[in-house]
Amino acid sequence: MTAPATSSRTAPGAPASGDGAPASARFRSVPRWVTPALGVGALVASAAAVVQGLVVMGPTTNQGEYSRLLVVHPPVATVSYVAFGVTAAASLLYLIPRTRARAWDQLAGASAEVGVVFTVLTLVTGSIWGHSTWGVWWTWDARLTASALLLALFLGYLALRRVPAEETVRAKRCAVAALIAVVDVPIDHYATSWWRTLHQGSSISLTQPDKHVDSAHAVGLLLGFVAMALAYAWLVTQRYRVERLEARYEEEGLSLALDARKAEGGVTAPTGPSDATGPSDATGTSGDPPVGALSGERP
Amino acid sequence: MNYVLAGYAVTFGALGLYALRVVLRGRALRRVLAPVPPVDGEEHG
Repeated sequence: MTAPATSSRTAPGAPASGDGAPASARFRSVPRWVTPALGVGALVASAAAVVQGLVVMGPTTNQGEYSRLLVVHPPVATVSYVAFGVTAAASLLYLIPRTRARAWDQLAGASAEVGVVFTVLTLVTGSIWGHSTWGVWWTWDARLTASALLLALFLGYLALRRVPAEETVRAKRCAVAALIAVVDVPIDHYATSWWRTLHQGSSISLTQPDKHVDSAHAVGLLLGFVAMALAYAWLVTQRYRVERLEARYEEEGLSLALDARKAEGGVTAPTGPSDATGPSDATGTSGDPPVGALSGERP
Repeated sequence: MNYVLAGYAVTFGALGLYALRVVLRGRALRRVLAPVPPVDGEEHG
């Protein structure tokens, strides 16, 4: 078995003769220093945000020590919107025949999972903040309910991705589901404007001068946004690679496991067409390379 | 203040644990798929 003809810029797990898709080409051409730089940047920005939030920033008159949560709560909430926006955009690109590529589906799945993590953190940190300011951990406020609905919708999306089906059918089904689920993002964001809610509106606004915070809190908020944005970028990059590896594992895993068992037993097994035929690639309709193209020569 | 610290700990702790899970999952898959190693043999983007 020979190695696939991966270039030196090919991420591990990326198909050798890719999907023929612009998306995969773009991902493969990411310079090698980008991912570590994102990770280091996220760590540095996170450390700076923690110092700013817990040490530099002082308590405020209205909210006391709890105003320090400004560094984490709004950034994780915003990044969850971004994550689901990326999922929706990638899903839309998958649904358009001209831009359809398996990479978009994989990016959508990766971003949705990271978005779910950020949404859970939004609800947890918001609950802590709400407990101090409202006296309750949870209330069926419009903003909170919309956030909980967002979490439920994308948990459902992730569950739908695991429903067994032919690759293109599953991807199309999930893309449509993502486009439906993402409708809740603007509802969640504008809930404080559209309805009377316990949850406050935005703390700062570029267009409304009366909405502002002191410079220490503004810097803390900015550092929080930078830290969470970098963390999201790093996480989604890593998760995207795992998606590709999982796809490759599905295609090759059975053959590899059989080879390993045969090697253990010292059995020389006959090779046949079924050995190199994946469930979704047999028809060649998915736009993906056949398994043989991924793994090169097979025994 | 304890709740504030809990908020920070949950946020950064959960992100760290999730990052670890993703990295370990990727390594495990690469190990399983090791018979087809990448030419340059290291992770990069």
